[in-house]
Amino acid sequence: MSFEVLWRYAPALLSGFGITILCWGAGAAIGIAAGFGIALLQRLNFAPLGWLLRVYIEIIRGTPFLVQLFLLYSGGPFIGLRLEATTAGILGLGLYSSAYFAEAFRAGFSAVPRGQTEAAQCIGMNSFDILWRISLPAMLVATLPAIVNLLIILSKETVILSIITVPELMYQMQTMAAETFTAFDAIFAMAVFYWLLVETVSRLGYRLERRVTAYMAPATGAA
Amino acid sequence: MSAPMIELSGVSKSFGSLQVLRDIDLSVDKSEVVCLIGPSGSGKSTLLRCVNFLESYDAGEIRIEGRLIGYEDRPGAPRRLMRGRELRELRCEIGMVFQHFNLWPHMSALQNVTEPLRRVRRLSAPEAAERAMQVLTRVGLAEKAASYPGHLSGGQQQRVAIARALAMQPRLMLFDEPTSALDPELVGEVLEVMRGLASEGMTMLIVTHEMGFAAKVADRIAFLDGGRIVEQGPPRQVFHESNEPRVRQFLQTYHDRNSF
Repeated sequence: MSFEVLWRYAPALLSGFGITILCWGAGAAIGIAAGFGIALLQRLNFAPLGWLLRVYIEIIRGTPFLVQLFLLYSGGPFIGLRLEATTAGILGLGLYSSAYFAEAFRAGFSAVPRGQTEAAQCIGMNSFDILWRISLPAMLVATLPAIVNLLIILSKETVILSIITVPELMYQMQTMAAETFTAFDAIFAMAVFYWLLVETVSRLGYRLERRVTAYMAPATGAA
Repeated sequence: MSAPMIELSGVSKSFGSLQVLRDIDLSVDKSEVVCLIGPSGSGKSTLLRCVNFLESYDAGEIRIEGRLIGYEDRPGAPRRLMRGRELRELRCEIGMVFQHFNLWPHMSALQNVTEPLRRVRRLSAPEAAERAMQVLTRVGLAEKAASYPGHLSGGQQQRVAIARALAMQPRLMLFDEPTSALDPELVGEVLEVMRGLASEGMTMLIVTHEMGFAAKVADRIAFLDGGRIVEQGPPRQVFHESNEPRVRQFLQTYHDRNSF
């Protein structure tokens, strides 16, 4: 283990880590927004649209992220979509995760007990208020663990962006390993970085989960 | 003479090939308390849920103070669903209380009551809070206003649910087995609130298995079996003088179970 090498490459590694977090954060934001939009559109019960969204989800889930990313970055120019590597990486992560987020939200919506929306319906609330004020909060609470889980998985999918030359952590590590013949140190350092990231996310997730469920499911007391 | 508060005539409904309501005629006058009793699967809850159109019905008419609910009122023409806005206008005059309370778990007791006042009645926040506190006080839960449903007992949750419905100042109230999900020692507090409402002249249609309550509070009992109203009349008549074998058998089973 050569700390001297790691120290020399620290600026590059940190900048790579920064890019990793940027791609992950921006990609997840796109994925959550798009996934939420898809889940809402699926609730419209408009068959052709529902079928189209279903096909989208199945294609995204059925193919490797690597392939999707290549198609977007290298195939994009053929249809006039010329993207810079990092932009392509972020958009790719967004599209890829949108399918998974959409499924999590769809399941979350169907987990909201029907009685809660019926109570709102029969008191005269309109569909928008019922969605926004009743279904959405309940859905978010139900999906929170799944969302944290997806965020963690997505953080590790960012390594694939190195293949289209996004200068993220994996890319910097490979550069270091190639230039200094220190493959083990590079992989070890990378594991530490990712572990830090995932640990932070999962701790925040638990804390958030405890907060939102604190009043909904008391540890003791009558049902 | 004004129209009855609720009037069902010739109402039928099927779930697929299973007919759950058969040619139901029932009317409830203003300030009248009518209890629907009968074995499970007899269609009581479905009938109740048709009154505020949580369930659609296939044939017949249901009128609330003369206004047809669920469908456009065009005699002779093919049935068309009524517009959402009109349905909501009718529904907010009909309070409903469910077996499983159906409170919104992410809102405090107070917010559960103010939410519809804000969204449907369009009251300002202070007005809604003031009215909500009045009804919560009335059901004896003013000091629980800040509690979330998960921290309340079943009886307290059901009283919040009643407060939520009452705050809308409905013209009638529907109760769908309001005490069936409660521990026996919590049933009394809910029935007490309902008895109070009845004595103040609230029009109520109640699906219940609490025969004692029905006998004391109801003006009229309707016994359902197999989707039909088999017998209806004052409690004394249905409970003690019925010649209908299905009614007698049902009551006998009820008595046997409750005497030990």
